[in-house]
Amino acid sequence: MTDLAVHFAGVGKTYPHFTLEEIDLELVVGSIMGFIGANGAGKSTTLRILMGLVHQDRGNVRVLGHSMPGSQVAAKRDIGFVSEDLRLYKAATLAWHMAFVRSIYPEWDAAYALDLARRFDLKPEQKIKGLSHGQRVKAALLLALARRPRLLVLDEPTTGLDPVARHEVLGALTEVLADEHRTVLFSSHNTLDVEQISDQITFIDRGRIIDSDDKESFLDRWRRVRLEVPTNVTLPAVPGTVDSTRSGRLAIVTTNRFEPRLTAAYQAAGATVFAVEPMTLEEIFVADVRSRREGKAA
Amino acid sequence: MNTAPMDSKMIRRLVLKDWYFQRKAMLVYLAAGALALALVANSGEGSFFAGSILLITVLITVGIHLAMATVVEERKDQTLAFVMSLPVSAKEYTTAKILANLLIFLFPWLALLVGSFAVIASRTALPDGLIPFTAIVLLEIFASSVLILSVALVSESQNWTIGAIVFGNLFFQGFLYFVSHLPDIAQTMNGPRIVWSPAAINLLVAELTAIALLVGLTFWLQSRKTDFL
Repeated sequence: MTDLAVHFAGVGKTYPHFTLEEIDLELVVGSIMGFIGANGAGKSTTLRILMGLVHQDRGNVRVLGHSMPGSQVAAKRDIGFVSEDLRLYKAATLAWHMAFVRSIYPEWDAAYALDLARRFDLKPEQKIKGLSHGQRVKAALLLALARRPRLLVLDEPTTGLDPVARHEVLGALTEVLADEHRTVLFSSHNTLDVEQISDQITFIDRGRIIDSDDKESFLDRWRRVRLEVPTNVTLPAVPGTVDSTRSGRLAIVTTNRFEPRLTAAYQAAGATVFAVEPMTLEEIFVADVRSRREGKAA
Repeated sequence: MNTAPMDSKMIRRLVLKDWYFQRKAMLVYLAAGALALALVANSGEGSFFAGSILLITVLITVGIHLAMATVVEERKDQTLAFVMSLPVSAKEYTTAKILANLLIFLFPWLALLVGSFAVIASRTALPDGLIPFTAIVLLEIFASSVLILSVALVSESQNWTIGAIVFGNLFFQGFLYFVSHLPDIAQTMNGPRIVWSPAAINLLVAELTAIALLVGLTFWLQSRKTDFL
């Protein structure tokens, strides 16, 4: 049986103007999942339910073997959480925060914390109010990582950062994650950020999980096919077509189940395949969301 | 519903954290309170009234300051997310907040209560009969502070907390008028002896009961919450 760090089964939460629909989500131990969705899609609500900070109305949540929200205290001992809306105490130094967190977590690795401070270019004696936003995010990451959590939950940690700070934070995170065997759930509306560090991808839109797969499969199965189609030829209906636009003799087909047989089918119908283009994760996300919203997903 | 026992060490850490951030402000309030007592102890009616008003103002401000700084600002400054990301349950958080606020409030409150008694007892121009009245008034300020804290914790809203502050201050004015005009109190407060009349005892018990009810109600309302961020 596969070891699951996170298991959501039929989880829902209803607010007056937003509903998180029956969420089913599995995160295998040791994997890094990118959780992608537009603003307001339900990412933060999902992660807060994961942390026990918001109680689900229905469904079951298990995190590191603990039932949530009932066993949140036990679960949170093994979770490092960094959120875009998590702030440290401005009046205190990073060293104070390190001592405070160390007093709570016996697993706190002081040497690793100092190493992270050096790698993140942070001075422990500096007050939080004197740090830039990027430095504050890195300080929060340091506090989460140095406790050696089994699960790292990052809720839009790069949101609001300027490009340089974002690059720095992602670089630091990539470096840290590369030399560790961690389970990570990383939410963002920025697919580029997620693409860099994730091996699993999940898309969420309007409170529903619309797709979930490993990153390579996502990138392998999504293709944009450019065709020349004679005016008297109708393209065959092929499973996996999520979008098809035609302008005169030119057609562009987007598919989420690409395989060589697909181009053969178009050619057999009389079309000429100009190009089969791989898609970026952002293009895949946008195409997936649009097709689901328009009810065209195959 | 989480029925796990509370982690007293975690609660202690959270209380000490709030004390760490409020300790300097409390020392300033204590200094202002000491100045108020010095004015009360000074001869002269004007000085007595100025000292009394300063003393009441300091204690009311301590209550407001604590609720705003430890609860409302924690939410506004988004440090609540940091605290709740730690292995803390909502019940432990609520307990820590109530304990921290009560203990930190009691630090200047008790000092100023004892100081007030000492000044009244030692200054011949001030009647000792003022002591029960002072205890009733200062305990009302304590109860009002607990009300503000309860509203801050349950509502997590600056506006509701400001509403509680306004209500508390208006109620205090009415309370002062009501208590000072109670025959049992009015007849003894200017006397040379300390008289714990039935009215005085009843008022003190009512205030303590109100404090206990507010704390209980806060725990009950907090236990019904499903969203903590």
